[in-house]
Amino acid sequence: MTPRAPSSERAHRAGAAAGDVDRRGALRLMASGVALALASCGRPPEEVVPYVDMPERLTPGVPLRFATALPLGGYARGVIVTSTEGRPIKVEGNPRHPASLGATDVFCEAAVLSLCDPDRLKVVRRGDEIATWSAFEAALLGQMEQERARHGAGLRILTNRVTSPTLLRQIDALLKALPEAKWHRYEPIDDDAPLAGAAQAFGRPLTALPRFADARVVLALDADPIGAGPGQIRFGHDLVRARQSHSAQEFLRLYAVEPAWTLTGAAADHRVALHHALVRNLALAVAHELGAPSPDTPLPPDAARFARAAAADLKARAGQGLVVAGRRQPAEVHALCHWINAQLRAPIDYIAPVDPSSMSHNDSLRALADDIASHKVQTLVIIGANPAYDAPGDLHFADALAAVPFSVRLGSHDDETATRCTWRLPQSHPLESWSDLRAHEGTASIVQPLIRPLYDSRTAHQMLALVGGAAAGASLDQVRATWTPQAGGDLGGWWRRTLQDGVVANSAGKPVTPPSAKLPQVQPAGTPNGLSLALAPDPSLWDGGEANNAWLQECPRPFEKQVWGNALHVSEIDARRLKLEDGDVVRVQANGRTIEAPVLVRAGQAADTLAATLGHGRTHAGAIGNGIGFDVYALRRSDAPSRWAVDGVTLAPAGRRQNLLLAQHHFRLDGEAEDLQPRLTLAELAQGKHAPNAPSANPPTLLPPESRDTYAWAMVIDTTACIGCNACVVACQAENNVPVVGPAEIAMGRDMHWLRVDTYEVHGRPGFSPIPCMHCEHAPCEPVCPVAASIHDSEGLNVQVYNRCVGTRFCESNCPYKVRRFNFFGYADGAEYANLGAECVRAVFNPDVTVRGRGVMEKCTYCVQRISRARRAAEKENRAIRDGEVVTACEAACPTRAISFGDRNDPKAAIQAQRAAPHAYALLGDLGTRPRTTYVARLRNPNPDLGEAQA
Amino acid sequence: MPQLFRPYADTVARSVLVALLVLPFAGIALAYWTMRSNYITGETVTLEQPVPFSHAHHVGGLGLDCRYCHSGVETSAVAGVPPTHTCMTCHSQLYTQTAMLAPVRESLANGTPIHWNKVNRLPDYVYFDHSIHIAKGVGCSTCHGPVDRMRLMRQAAPLTMGWCLACHRDPAAHLRPPEKIFDTEWQPPADQAEQGKKLAAFYHVDNKHLTDCSVCHR
Repeated sequence: MTPRAPSSERAHRAGAAAGDVDRRGALRLMASGVALALASCGRPPEEVVPYVDMPERLTPGVPLRFATALPLGGYARGVIVTSTEGRPIKVEGNPRHPASLGATDVFCEAAVLSLCDPDRLKVVRRGDEIATWSAFEAALLGQMEQERARHGAGLRILTNRVTSPTLLRQIDALLKALPEAKWHRYEPIDDDAPLAGAAQAFGRPLTALPRFADARVVLALDADPIGAGPGQIRFGHDLVRARQSHSAQEFLRLYAVEPAWTLTGAAADHRVALHHALVRNLALAVAHELGAPSPDTPLPPDAARFARAAAADLKARAGQGLVVAGRRQPAEVHALCHWINAQLRAPIDYIAPVDPSSMSHNDSLRALADDIASHKVQTLVIIGANPAYDAPGDLHFADALAAVPFSVRLGSHDDETATRCTWRLPQSHPLESWSDLRAHEGTASIVQPLIRPLYDSRTAHQMLALVGGAAAGASLDQVRATWTPQAGGDLGGWWRRTLQDGVVANSAGKPVTPPSAKLPQVQPAGTPNGLSLALAPDPSLWDGGEANNAWLQECPRPFEKQVWGNALHVSEIDARRLKLEDGDVVRVQANGRTIEAPVLVRAGQAADTLAATLGHGRTHAGAIGNGIGFDVYALRRSDAPSRWAVDGVTLAPAGRRQNLLLAQHHFRLDGEAEDLQPRLTLAELAQGKHAPNAPSANPPTLLPPESRDTYAWAMVIDTTACIGCNACVVACQAENNVPVVGPAEIAMGRDMHWLRVDTYEVHGRPGFSPIPCMHCEHAPCEPVCPVAASIHDSEGLNVQVYNRCVGTRFCESNCPYKVRRFNFFGYADGAEYANLGAECVRAVFNPDVTVRGRGVMEKCTYCVQRISRARRAAEKENRAIRDGEVVTACEAACPTRAISFGDRNDPKAAIQAQRAAPHAYALLGDLGTRPRTTYVARLRNPNPDLGEAQA
Repeated sequence: MPQLFRPYADTVARSVLVALLVLPFAGIALAYWTMRSNYITGETVTLEQPVPFSHAHHVGGLGLDCRYCHSGVETSAVAGVPPTHTCMTCHSQLYTQTAMLAPVRESLANGTPIHWNKVNRLPDYVYFDHSIHIAKGVGCSTCHGPVDRMRLMRQAAPLTMGWCLACHRDPAAHLRPPEKIFDTEWQPPADQAEQGKKLAAFYHVDNKHLTDCSVCHR
């Protein structure tokens, strides 16, 4: 019998066999560990890579700014884009552009991210296979030869709205060369009804541009001029400008009647919720007060009282009153409004429509669908449009596309339409293209690229050139060819000046004197029966084209602050009747189609009215946008009277629930809504009523007073001016590298937006308060940080030093305003949501701002990088920073100038007056935090005849 | 019965007790000393470069001004390293065949930039701006050392936060007149304290708030 080895040795050998280390191995490992640790303690190697030939004017580290224009629904907003080392990183407004006036909206701000979207179509595809442009050009050549033989009879071009003079010129030339070809244009957010209404009233289509700055009484009939859209920035600016006065005579009084909540309704002094079909009755009632004959117009009593008061107010202010109607209202209501405005001598400019195409969007698409169905279409060229997703459901456009033998789609993504076309071609993003555009009021701008095309893409101009049989050429040449006649021989100087300014001088639509408006025959509506669904463009996604933009998906919609999806808004009255709660999923059936949607109950929505936004439920948007929300386009019908209301809707419970992601509940401040967002009427203000918690009324303290030997940065936010457009939220995200966390993290309350817009409801009226960091003079977050990462600097900023932060999160819990955000995961640095960690997305980061890693606290910094840049510039010139030189990202973005930033120690600073106003207040000021961010209370100008009982 | 503990067991026990008291302090001291050593800060370490560029020859010998190559230093946060074209302003005509300059010629021919190894590295969380320092009287050689005598570039200062703070707390000791900013030979004169005070007033350098965290960390 062999002697058994000692047990220790056996165990040792067994352990060694299992992969353990012995004493020698352990020592080796320890030594290498120490060596590695020491080696990693030094500075990591870094490379400096200069240019081979540095471009002139480009100094590394100094950003350049270029003026260009970005489209929304085909209309331009002038912007100035900041570019560092050849990469566009921030979009701001162009003060010289009438549709921007220096501000932006959410879509402008998010454009830099969609430029660097990893899901963009990068290569030419023939079906699913990768092909080349030369292969496509060869195929197109053959196809177009056949088309030319039949004068283009089988050729159809489908675009979105085109306002680009160059593209219009090219399309014109193509249609002249191929007379049988047709151009269809379809914009899902259409303006068919307003143009048809103008045609009814004036005999030809005209676009009405309300001059809110000159108006004192405005009645919005199911209209949302300050809601999302190409006119939002300008209309918001003008409307709020007219609501700055403290005199009840001068303060623009806004009346709104609408089926569901809009930003205009939220801003209104008086609002009534009314079924969309009954709005015409209210219009008729108003018209009757102004002299029109009126049949019996059944209206609920509160709406009738509202109509009488609004009409009286409008009549009393002739020349300063105007009525606007929205896209949901039929053409005859628009015509009636034109008549009413004519009686009122309303401050409205009428211009020839900027979009020269005269056919209605709906009819245009229907004609194309009919042609495809009758096999008349052999060659279909789609530029930018996505009808397979956003065409009305009854056209079954996605299936129809398969019938076209040669279909070409030039677009940004491999989306619903592209995947059903023969050829999928990558389109250049506006930030990387030469082009031109017109704004909603006609001003033209040259679109100049900020960067060379990232991928092998072409612009629409190059595409049209190919279709026309020429070489693709350069868009720059095509655009210059358009504007050479205008330049009058000085193309070089004119071109440079126009590019510098960002606007083509004197190109705004010239106001025309309209013929006298005909009073239309408007049949009053009977009491509607059954539910109807009011559709609206999504405030963050517009028509769904931007569904793959993570900043927009995570941008909380106004009011309920829903993110990552849409909901079926059900009126409180109906919800009680149908026994529905937030989150219940229902089957919505209309026009033979059924979709499933989660319910969101809304107070203040008209009875028998449902509401939903477009732009969700996409199937081929990309990693970010796929499967988010439900698609309402399916319920639209091209043969219905309106694309914006679906009647005859039935609801049935689907038997399940869905979690709605509502950011409103994430950050709760302690207090009643009346105290957190004080409201005052002008009458109360005149009587001397103050807002609670004046900025200067601070509880006593033992701490030494603030030093006055340097700047003392402060911010004032005017809650009357805030319309809730969210431009500031996305601007802050773009400027400060704020990460997107995705729906799963949002569900856990880990929203990372530094700036949020809180909605408070007082007596059924919503109001918006943007909440950045307060930069409290006695900040509760500072004494509790164990490692002094949250400290005060001498200029009054509460500074968050990321490299010191160890992630205790005591500061976050101690902040009464809940403005601090913690990186629970490496949202920007290693654990990005979906494909946002791709290399191209990192090009969007602002190099002046740290990209925070996991475990680090962050919050609004008053754009300390901008303050630092201004201070360094001023120091180099041996002067002080001028008032208005530091503009925070949120302040720059705001269309209504609701946010002001300046030096509290400067007696001449613009913010002094706002801080000292009687209705200024410090949020939660009674806590003694002494916030540097103060607010101005929300004012309204109610009509004394309507009294407080009327909402 | 044999002793469980050998005679040296006492010594071992006492040594362990002493070590328990002394070693932590010694260890921390060693760590602090290591972190300040050139090994960690990189001071005096000469890094390999794709081209062995000699500042001693170009600056000391030929008298090139710093700004000829580091052109961004007065306007930008980043001083910059010259593009290949700057090298080729001379080397398209001088030393056109030397093997040492082959990477430069290749860079020009192929359009690929030269990857230099950065010598004066700061962590990413430090936002340093050259232009403001130049504007306020801090000369190049104050931080970068006697570059005109360096045959190969090395880091001449520890570039630790403490080292930066030493000047931020008392800039007057390191300021120089405007015409001497790019003078690599300048040394502080004997009366620097007095001169420095005058210069600080001239440059409007106010060191009351230079040590705010937000000046460098954002």
